[in-house]
Amino acid sequence: MTASSALGSRAVRRAPQRGPRWSLLRRRGAPYLFIAPFLAIFALFSVYPLIFTLRLSFTNWHGAGTAEWVGWGNYTYLLTNPGFWSSLGNSAVLWLLIVPVQVVIGLLAAVLLNSARIRMRGFYRTAFIVPFVTPLVAIAQIWVVVFDQNYGPVNDVLGFFGIPDIGWLTTSEWAKPTLALLFLWKTTGFAIIILLSGLQSIDSSLYEAASLDGATRTRQLVSITVPLVRRTLMFLVVLQTLAVFQMFAEPYVVTKGGPYSSTTTAGLFLYNHITRADLGTGAANSFLLVIIVLVLSLFFVRMLRTKD
Amino acid sequence: MTTAITRRRRPVASQLFLILLTLVFLSPVVWAIVSSFKPAADIIRDPLGFDPSLFNFDNFERMFGDVPLGSGFMNTAIVLVLKGSLTLFFAPLAGYAFAKYDFPFKNILFGTVLVTLMLPTIVLIIPLLLEMKEFGWVNTYQALVLPGSIDAFAIFWMRQVIAAVPDELLDAARVDGCGEFGIYWRVVVPVIRPGIAGLAVLTVMNIYNDFVWPVVVTTNDRMQTLQVVLSTLAQNITGNTIGADYATVTGELLAASSIALIPLLVIFILLQKHFINGILAGSIKG
Amino acid sequence: MHQHPPARSEAKPNAPRPFRRHLRFGAFGLAALVAIGLTACGPAIGSGEAADPSKLQLPAEPKGEITIWDRSGDLYGVFDAAIAKFNEKYPDITVHHEAVDIGAKLQNTLITGTDVPDGVFLDDQLVPGFADHLWDLSDVLKPYLGDIAQQKVDVNSLDGGIYGVPWDLDPGLLFYNATALKAAGIDAESIKTYDDLLQAARDYKAFKPDAGPIHLEQSPFLGQLQLEMYASQLGTSITDAHGKLRLDSPKYQQILTFLDTVQKEGLGTRAEYLGPTDIATLDSAQQVFVPWAQWFGFAPQQLLPETTGDWRAMPLPAWSDGGPRSGAMGGSSFIIPKDAKNPGLAWLFYEFLAFDPAGYAAVYGPNDIYPNGLNTSIPSYGPAADPAKPLFGTVDALGGQDLWKVAVDAGAQIPGGVPTPTWWGGAVDYLGNNIQKMLDGTMTPEEVISVSTKDIQTNLVDRQ
Repeated sequence: MTASSALGSRAVRRAPQRGPRWSLLRRRGAPYLFIAPFLAIFALFSVYPLIFTLRLSFTNWHGAGTAEWVGWGNYTYLLTNPGFWSSLGNSAVLWLLIVPVQVVIGLLAAVLLNSARIRMRGFYRTAFIVPFVTPLVAIAQIWVVVFDQNYGPVNDVLGFFGIPDIGWLTTSEWAKPTLALLFLWKTTGFAIIILLSGLQSIDSSLYEAASLDGATRTRQLVSITVPLVRRTLMFLVVLQTLAVFQMFAEPYVVTKGGPYSSTTTAGLFLYNHITRADLGTGAANSFLLVIIVLVLSLFFVRMLRTKD
Repeated sequence: MTTAITRRRRPVASQLFLILLTLVFLSPVVWAIVSSFKPAADIIRDPLGFDPSLFNFDNFERMFGDVPLGSGFMNTAIVLVLKGSLTLFFAPLAGYAFAKYDFPFKNILFGTVLVTLMLPTIVLIIPLLLEMKEFGWVNTYQALVLPGSIDAFAIFWMRQVIAAVPDELLDAARVDGCGEFGIYWRVVVPVIRPGIAGLAVLTVMNIYNDFVWPVVVTTNDRMQTLQVVLSTLAQNITGNTIGADYATVTGELLAASSIALIPLLVIFILLQKHFINGILAGSIKG
Repeated sequence: MHQHPPARSEAKPNAPRPFRRHLRFGAFGLAALVAIGLTACGPAIGSGEAADPSKLQLPAEPKGEITIWDRSGDLYGVFDAAIAKFNEKYPDITVHHEAVDIGAKLQNTLITGTDVPDGVFLDDQLVPGFADHLWDLSDVLKPYLGDIAQQKVDVNSLDGGIYGVPWDLDPGLLFYNATALKAAGIDAESIKTYDDLLQAARDYKAFKPDAGPIHLEQSPFLGQLQLEMYASQLGTSITDAHGKLRLDSPKYQQILTFLDTVQKEGLGTRAEYLGPTDIATLDSAQQVFVPWAQWFGFAPQQLLPETTGDWRAMPLPAWSDGGPRSGAMGGSSFIIPKDAKNPGLAWLFYEFLAFDPAGYAAVYGPNDIYPNGLNTSIPSYGPAADPAKPLFGTVDALGGQDLWKVAVDAGAQIPGGVPTPTWWGGAVDYLGNNIQKMLDGTMTPEEVISVSTKDIQTNLVDRQ
């Protein structure tokens, strides 16, 4: 198995093939050069802080003076703390409220935006990402106002149909869906962009071949689009799982984690530790979060695994 | 998607769906923009009221006087260009290496990359700030641009996109005698153009939105990005601040947010043409 | 088959043996790196001693530059205007005044020691939390201590040191809709105790059945802050000077029972401070009593067009006949970080703002931002808070009332206090939420006290 130093070489000797697997060909120099800039940034600005935080998680440092080693103390405190588990529960419920809806709407919108038969696609594409870049604080107030229990238009409309006032942001049952709506509003544009990019990577010749074979548009959608977009979907789901669990700005600005901590997400729970200078516990908390999201992601990857 | 073979059925339901989505997505933003013309106290007192006779530019005037919007824009623009270029140039390259090559430690490295992606930023602020202090980079452009410039998300996504590129293309290029970088530049990049366009949009959005780190690492007007400027305004509303006059501040914030949207929209409109309008510019056909 | 992240656990099925060996090397290498890293990076690990306190002294000469952080908004404008007056007295001190998101930046700046400002404006309740990073100001404050409101000194003191320059006093007042009450035949001025207030509310409700006369706060944070205002009236607070919880007391029982009674008898409007419901009910005379800090005064001035001019302020009712008729709710001070370059000069600046007649007149008196003066708080410094010499003008929205006199008289009655525990904000998850549950009717005052005490002890006090 020879590997030739490949940069600029003309007389390239092809390594023995094991099927159409590009990945088995080794080129010693190239990949290292390609990832070098990334590695430099990574080592400096990701690895060092990672190790620092790991070390911190075994202490009870509060920001001044020397830190006291507490071993697994922070971890055991968190794992036996009902607040920690309920914050995870909150994030899990929010996940259920957000991700499936976002996938459906996102996919639908992306497919439509990818279709030549829809007009003004550029306008829609721009419009859909506007929420993502609008400052949250500018929007938070309208959310609070629209969903106000006594004077908000939503309850006014419901009242029109005879439904009594709902405490959207003041009861534990309804605060989560209302927050989920805010998060959906803000980030679905992001999902649409990712899905759209994934769709546009699909070779159009596949669709042409299928129509020549007489497949209807729906059938094409199901048997070509969906399998090929599965990889992108998996990517999106992992990313949004991460985003939902780390979410802290939305609950912080709109509900401050209430009512009764029902919207204290895992991210906000962590944020509270940090802002109260409980840095050791915060560090431990973040690693626990990493493990949880990693496990979840592994699960999704397995579920949405592409078959070649 | 397909050519004239299919029936020319007017996609009414689809258009309706898209219009509905647009309404939902844009109405809060429209509210914010319209409200910035209302007297500040009215924004709090009567948020949904609409009385054009009372509209004025007070919020904007006050905002331009109080808030360093100009330098905020400039700094955001500089960071966008520098950091964006770094990401758009080096992230697909690294993604290509992870997707199409095999080298020792590749999986471990990618696993570590994934772990750092999942670590919440808030927790990394203190060690990063200490590093900046060591390097003497506090309140400099390096501090705003370099950390996170080629970040795990971009690598992850580019790897994803490039993995879907058929190996035959790369084989063919190799047979034609292309160097390794040539394969990347001449074959892979054109094929993944929509993916890069998507990355460009998301990178712009993420850099623009980033405020956790810039707030911490910039200490004065000179270096503040737009988000820092906005968050300084917003602290009177979000933080549990006591006793602040938040009516005027809300007015200024809405005015600032409205203005801040404009350049972003321009950038996005310019980026639109890189999105393929439904038909992939032939890849296998070369 | 393409690799899917994370694929560390998958061994490649057809990988040649050298590759597997590489993998193992890789694993060892990473572990080694981590081990090295663990010993080197991170905070210095020792026995957990606190940092060394140090007392600030006067500067050698009044010359140099200082960086001052303030919250953005109206207060920034007010202090900015005062700098000109400061420079009349100290022409050689240059002040770089910056509007900063203090909540987001201060902690990180102090912990890492990066670009530390010389002085920062900070809420009183946050001062003890940063004490390790701040100068002890007891020496420089000594000449003024006797004249500063006791509560303000106490709230800035920790273990014998004083860590903030006390600035504004936020006395609790009872704001009432005089016009509406007069129409109902109720004489608000005759209210002397909280029992009187309850009776007045009942009378008003009899007159206007859809009213919820007394404001009941729905935000857990502000609700807890208001609770501490009532407690401050009674000379107590959530912990004593040594950080020991004292929620379980007859005083808190009395306060919570009062709130519970308001709720049970339907005498209150439950709303978030100045949220849509609050504003609507205040402006329609459904809510006529607001026991709140002086800074509620901003509402009749700006947000209540229908009832502006109808509102008045008076000292809070007392908890018992002849008891103190005010408590502190909020308040801010100025802190000077230990890593500041010119702490002595920062002290001169704050000394001017708080204790120099030219200074406090500039801050509280008429200026560009507030043509009528700053009327959302009063100075905590006695000579500045002279009832006969108002710094800000009468308030039209309060019917031309001399708010200054009311606030100063009330402020003079506030009993001494103790420093706020550093975990106070975290207690909102327990105490703040439980108060809300009580106002929902799902918890009794006794339960609020016992459950909160237990949770705060376990999750906050014990983990310090």
